[in-house]
Amino acid sequence: MTIRKRYLRVAHLLFIVLLLTQLLPDRSTNPVYTSYLVTFAVGAEVIVLAASALIKKEESLALLVDVAGFIFILLGAWSLATAKYDYLNPQLFPAPGRVIHQFVEDRDKIFVNVKSSLQTIIKGFFLAVAVAVPLGLFIGWSARLGSAATYITKFFSSIPPIVYIPYGIALLPTLKSVSVFVIFLATFWPVFAGTMSGVLGVDKRIIDSAKVLNVGKLEMLFRVILPASLQQIFLGCNQGLSVSFILLTSAEMINAKDGMGYYVKNYSDFGDYTRTITGLLVIGFVVIGVTFLFNTIQNRLLKWKR
Amino acid sequence: MTTNKIEIKNLTVNYIENKKSFNALHDVSFGVGKGEFVSVIGASGCGKSTLLSVLEGLYAPAGGSVQIDGKELHGTGTERGVVFQHYSLFPWMTTKKNIEFGIKQSRHDVKRSERAKIADEFLTKVGLSGFGSKYPSQLSGGMQQRAAIARALAMNTEILLMDEPFSAIDAKNRVILQELLLKLWEGDGSEERKTVVFVTHDIDEAILLSDKIVVLTAHPGTVNEIVNVPFERPRSRSELVKTEEYGRFRNKLLSLLYNDIAERIGGEEVVL
Repeated sequence: MTIRKRYLRVAHLLFIVLLLTQLLPDRSTNPVYTSYLVTFAVGAEVIVLAASALIKKEESLALLVDVAGFIFILLGAWSLATAKYDYLNPQLFPAPGRVIHQFVEDRDKIFVNVKSSLQTIIKGFFLAVAVAVPLGLFIGWSARLGSAATYITKFFSSIPPIVYIPYGIALLPTLKSVSVFVIFLATFWPVFAGTMSGVLGVDKRIIDSAKVLNVGKLEMLFRVILPASLQQIFLGCNQGLSVSFILLTSAEMINAKDGMGYYVKNYSDFGDYTRTITGLLVIGFVVIGVTFLFNTIQNRLLKWKR
Repeated sequence: MTTNKIEIKNLTVNYIENKKSFNALHDVSFGVGKGEFVSVIGASGCGKSTLLSVLEGLYAPAGGSVQIDGKELHGTGTERGVVFQHYSLFPWMTTKKNIEFGIKQSRHDVKRSERAKIADEFLTKVGLSGFGSKYPSQLSGGMQQRAAIARALAMNTEILLMDEPFSAIDAKNRVILQELLLKLWEGDGSEERKTVVFVTHDIDEAILLSDKIVVLTAHPGTVNEIVNVPFERPRSRSELVKTEEYGRFRNKLLSLLYNDIAERIGGEEVVL
């Protein structure tokens, strides 16, 4: 890539425009924390510049720079509508600097809540995967049970898992265990169904090729059928994971004492919309982070497929 | 009479398709001597691949018997190495891991560290040194078949079963692979040759490689004729095709196949 292609980008112009808008006088009567917004924008720009110097693939760099450009536009527009011209209700729409400031202020509390949410997800999700995959392999591999199980799975996976919450509350001692239980159900059925359809779809020629190598029963399941159905299993996991976040935050908003759903619900009950918006954005970042991690693992395990 | 390595006697196989059973092979008998290379040829649908699935142990016959070293064949076994037309290798294992897996299955005495060494050795033999860390999907069809042959050979089985291994390969690479197989199988005389049953629809391939060719007739598959290939070994394609004898022999095989097709169509004009 030429220097021009690397560094001469519209996003950098947008960054400068964003900085210039911050020189305008503040009209909002609430504190707007302009310095936090500027620090954040400079931080983002530094990351983009560092990446521009390091990233080798032109498309990846273009993508990153474009995303940064959008963020600068969004922050600029948000700042103009709130801090600079005061078009919006300052109670409902805090200035961007204020949200960033709130995040820094609340970082310990947010960290505790994120940790609690992630722990719940991990417990429910991994428990479900650990049970659903071997069970799906065994049942899918025995042809007769497989077709019966497909119908039963269809029935149970058609029940939206959120309706289990009230029953879970009656059934289980703590709200945390209810969340784990509901996430377990939400992940179990799609992963189980995915594993079974993966097993049923394994190419007969692959199975023949394993048979002539005289592989044992367990080896057939875990070294042949499992990798051959991995893509379908991941489809189920993806579905389970995205539903899990919806369920977890819903459950946390109902009656929890911690977690990100609790954070958002609690502060919006008190009319603290700065914290509400901070919470929403943090949840967005956490979900993106987890999804990214998950996709990385998936690509690594499926790299033999082109 | 010397005993054959593989003895097929009055083999009858029924195939069930859409709940209708039809006779795929009827009363097929022939023997394969130890260290002999036997090809089975015939038009498509003559049951030649079915015959091989029975030898692989993947399909049970309706009647007759298959004996290996005088013992009745039951199911699959690692004394037989198999090369299929597709998917001989597991797509999620690298080429080298595939070969190591094959060695692990058939040679229990070989230690883990030794497996890697043997795998490398056979990768080199088939001209794939340096491709061990590639996944099958990263290799061309011809290279995948080289790897499949490397695995079958590394497993060091006495019998090799090959089901149209080169049919899906382009013409140029097919010739190269045939010569590679010929060279590897003929060896330098220091090792005992493997017993091979090779299914193909390519007459030239069958002549180049085989000691004996079994010509099948279709519907149901029966043995039309068993022909011994009269050419000396070691063979080379370029020398072989120059001789008049080759042309005569090839025509004889063609007429065995062609007559069969003509009979089936019932004397109507056949455009080939």
